[in-house]
Amino acid sequence: MSSVLDFLKSSGLNQLGSKQPRRYVFEVSAERLREVVGGLAKFKNIYVSSISGVDYVSEGFIEINYCLWVVDERFMVITKVRVPRDSPKVPTIYDLIPGALNSELEAYDLLGVVFEGNEKLRRGFLTPSEVASQGLFPLRKDFKV
Amino acid sequence: MSLIEIPVGPQHPALHEPIMLRVKADGERVVDVQVVTGYNHRGAEKLGERNTWSKNVFLYSRVCGICNTVHAQTYTQGVEAIGNVEVPPRAQYLRTLIMELERIHSHMLISAVMAEIVGFDSLFMLIMRDREPVMMLKELVTGNRVLSDYYTLGGVRRDVDEVKKDKILKVLESVEGRMKYYKKVFEEDFTLSRRLGGVGVVRHDEAVRYSLVGPTLRGSGVKSDVRADDPYAAYGEIPFNVITYDGGDSLSRMLVRFDETLESIEMVRYILNHLPQGPIAPKTPIRIIPAGEAFSRVEAPRGELFYHIVSKGGDKPYRVKVRTPSFHNIINGVIAYREANIADVPVILASVDPCISCTERVLVIDERSGKARSLRLKDLSRGLLDGS
Repeated sequence: MSSVLDFLKSSGLNQLGSKQPRRYVFEVSAERLREVVGGLAKFKNIYVSSISGVDYVSEGFIEINYCLWVVDERFMVITKVRVPRDSPKVPTIYDLIPGALNSELEAYDLLGVVFEGNEKLRRGFLTPSEVASQGLFPLRKDFKV
Repeated sequence: MSLIEIPVGPQHPALHEPIMLRVKADGERVVDVQVVTGYNHRGAEKLGERNTWSKNVFLYSRVCGICNTVHAQTYTQGVEAIGNVEVPPRAQYLRTLIMELERIHSHMLISAVMAEIVGFDSLFMLIMRDREPVMMLKELVTGNRVLSDYYTLGGVRRDVDEVKKDKILKVLESVEGRMKYYKKVFEEDFTLSRRLGGVGVVRHDEAVRYSLVGPTLRGSGVKSDVRADDPYAAYGEIPFNVITYDGGDSLSRMLVRFDETLESIEMVRYILNHLPQGPIAPKTPIRIIPAGEAFSRVEAPRGELFYHIVSKGGDKPYRVKVRTPSFHNIINGVIAYREANIADVPVILASVDPCISCTERVLVIDERSGKARSLRLKDLSRGLLDGS
């Protein structure tokens, strides 16, 4: 058993199944996110592969998938955080793993997820000014093109 | 201390994707680099939600011109994982073949561009001349020189016969000799080693913490390659070495690419000599995919390429998240510019093999007089800030 998986399982997180090999998916609440990612960041050689947000409009929440690759043990840890659509806020992990910066900027600009504590968040990181100035988030499902 | 801000970019007609580096400099020394993005966000993720599963193979091939087959691979293998689609072994080998040919020409391209940026124009022309036969091999296999559209859900669209096999092996023999020679040039040439060695150093631990990927990560001594760590297509059956260099500088990143090119040539030989028999695509096209999600990873020439695909069932994806390797390497890679000289900025940028089109036009603004004037990337890289 790997030490990273030991840590995640001993944290009492709910593990979800995955059809793909080398993928371990866990559910995490927004309150516990920093505790879990902070624990993972203490292990050597873990990087943030991506932060991928999905807008589940009819279910009323946005799911943020933190995908971290464990270099030495060769698997991906995915932690899923669900936040309400009307107030999508999670704490930033950019101070714990600096490589998360660009992914947080992207998720804020395109999906409107607020990463509390990240002072570098700005509109117009990827969106054109006419979209950013109207407060629209293009990857939300209710944004029509 | 009077700082000068130098915007590098955002237009460059020779490479793709415009981007700007806002460089703050104290004299010749770089103090801070801010990456300005958003010039050309094309909305491929949003567009993918409206297309059918099979149409999206063509859309995501077009995310990048140089590495279009790896994008098709990442998308199709993710969809195939959700839909439990079996890909025939011959198709897996052919997919691996075309991805390795792509890696060879992509690494040759950035080696040529790097030679040009440091002012070694004849080397640029020679490498580009020798790269062209590899592009022709790509055309031979897929039918197209650049955008191949080789993939289909569950397989590939064209087969390789004995005539094509002999042609590929013959061309690669001459490419191998040339690449060995160019590697020697990069290692031994006085100008190149002075311009690249010790420039833009990223330490091992920083490379991981800042989530750098691909040859940029392996150039800092981190042994991480999706092909070996998380095998896909036929990589689990093909022997190859993961290349690392410990220097962490621009030269190490380039040498990783040269060694990888030579490894790729060996891999193509192995693939062609061990090609399984059988079909190359399913008999009926795949149109409906059940609900599910996949986290798909592929080692693109520039590093780990990642797709997150969500399906709610039906003929369209619910969400396709695309994260390209350059997104990490360019934006988080700004740590490499610390304490660099202004003339090293283009070298460091090119050493992460950016997929952008940024650095030809440079505007120099003197903060005291407020005057602005333009510089070309070449002049900047040669340290001609005064325009002489």
